[in-house]
Amino acid sequence: MSQEATCNAAGSSIANETVGQVVDRGPLSLGRILTNRWFLHTVSIVAFFWLWDWLARSNVLGGGSSALARPYEVLDQLVVLAHEELAELTLWGHVWASTQRVVIGFSIAAVIAVPLGLFMALNRYVNAIVKPLFDLLKPMPPISWISISILWFGIGETSKVFIIVLGTFVPCLLNAYNGVRLVEPELYDVVRMLGGKRRDEILHVCFPASFPAIFAGLQISLSIAWTCVLAAELVSARSGLGYIIVQGMNLSQPAMVIGGMAVIAAAAWGTTLLVTALERKLCPWKRKIVGL
Amino acid sequence: MIECRNVSKTFIQKGKQEVPVLEDVSIDVQANEFVVILGPGQSGKSTLLRIIAGLETPTTGTVTLDGEPVTGPGADRGLVFQGYMLFPWKTVLGNVEMGPKLCGLPSNEVRDLAMHYIDLVGLSGFEKHYPHQLSGGMKQRVGIARAYANKPRVMLLDEPFGQLDAQTRIFMEQETERIWQTDKRTVIFVTNNTDEALFLADRIVAIEGKLPGRVQRTYTVDLPRPRDLTSGTGFTFPARPGSFGTGNGVSPEPR
Ligand SMILES: Nc1ncnc2c1ncn2[C@@H]1O[C@H](COP(=O)(O)OP(=O)(O)OP(=O)(O)O)[C@@H](O)[C@H]1O
Ligand SMILES: [Mg+2]
Repeated sequence: MSQEATCNAAGSSIANETVGQVVDRGPLSLGRILTNRWFLHTVSIVAFFWLWDWLARSNVLGGGSSALARPYEVLDQLVVLAHEELAELTLWGHVWASTQRVVIGFSIAAVIAVPLGLFMALNRYVNAIVKPLFDLLKPMPPISWISISILWFGIGETSKVFIIVLGTFVPCLLNAYNGVRLVEPELYDVVRMLGGKRRDEILHVCFPASFPAIFAGLQISLSIAWTCVLAAELVSARSGLGYIIVQGMNLSQPAMVIGGMAVIAAAAWGTTLLVTALERKLCPWKRKIVGL
Repeated sequence: MIECRNVSKTFIQKGKQEVPVLEDVSIDVQANEFVVILGPGQSGKSTLLRIIAGLETPTTGTVTLDGEPVTGPGADRGLVFQGYMLFPWKTVLGNVEMGPKLCGLPSNEVRDLAMHYIDLVGLSGFEKHYPHQLSGGMKQRVGIARAYANKPRVMLLDEPFGQLDAQTRIFMEQETERIWQTDKRTVIFVTNNTDEALFLADRIVAIEGKLPGRVQRTYTVDLPRPRDLTSGTGFTFPARPGSFGTGNGVSPEPR
């Protein structure tokens, strides 16, 4: 406070305009612990696993082979899968198989759809040509393509990657397109007033302004990519996390099914973190959303 | 230096409906003069400034800068926007460097110019901050520095402090005067605030309240600078902008 006062007196003109943040660090009390965020996180996680275990133990969802696996059984199963091979691959091999498909399909879609979306927003002729085709194909759920893609490409990698490309193409393109469309038009005026040309408007306003929207599209695409790869693997595959789930079902091993589900969630989460990290690196200006 | 000759602007909204926004506006601005355009909300002030900036073309009439007609936006006029309009993805330094960079100056000159004007507006030490980390007053300082960095022949400011609280606003007005005295340029400053106009202006162009905007009267403000905001300038502020009495130092020009 006194620091600020001296600053003002010395004529430093903005000291009174900066916004400071004060973190209140009171003494620890029971009330503070009970309302602590991390404490509450722990409580809810422990409660979840306890409820799960209780449901499994009391056979609410049926007994025997259709029973809900207990948490430690799932963990056991995952340890076994990590060491022993299932269809010539350990758990890591299967994780890698699925991840590879996601990454390839997602990358192909992003590399084509994002520039195409930007072009559509920037050039009305490109827009007029691409938009009707896009609108025609957009409402079709990507999973509905599985059968035809197996007929076309067989049950190998190509058909799975094809499904992922189809599914992730739409949000990638739409977000890039809308990102450019929603740019504040006066920002273009700023560039023109500063002596910029059309090229500068695109380079210095269009692209950076649509970055956050593009990344939002990439995040949505990524979760769709995992849905697609799983669907494709459930239909036909000899590797991948979907294959583990199908095997668990065929062998009547709920622990294996749930284990596969958990690993998919973990893998999807991991790839999301990668994209988030990339976004942080490329858009340091984006305000962090607090609390989520 | 700047001449607006019988400028009118009519927007055509939604296909047919015509909205006359400016009618027969003529303004003369001398070199290094501080002219304030004073008018209430929705009187076509921004439109007039955008026409002078070259961002809009007048329906009829002409604008000339040093005798040459204005045909489009250009770096010889610096515009400070009503809503800051900083590039959120650029730091303070990046924002201010933008103009000189776009004008193709070598990078060391770009940096020197930017640092000079960041210092002039009092933002030294904030070069690496992003706009969202700044308060409103600081944001508009960046807007002013960014426009100044191109060394424009005319500075155009569109209600630059309209979004600030009264205290910061008065402070920023003093800063504007200081900056103008340090780096003399022709200034056209738009506001709806009579006090602001009286504090800053060499000349006040009062715009009539309802659309289409017309020049109601021009006043010469002949008060010594720097003026005092708190102790009053010797006459009462009129309720309606443009209807000044002939108080000390403020005199209407003949029509
Ligand atoms: N591009 C445009 N197309 C159609 N109408 C417009 C356009 N720009 C401005 N107008 C109209 O012109 C009128 C005057 O707008 P302008 O922004 O020039 O007023 P202003 O005096 O700057 O107002 P404020 O004090 O709110 O900033 C408004 O009613 C607006 O609807
Ligand atoms: Mg305005």
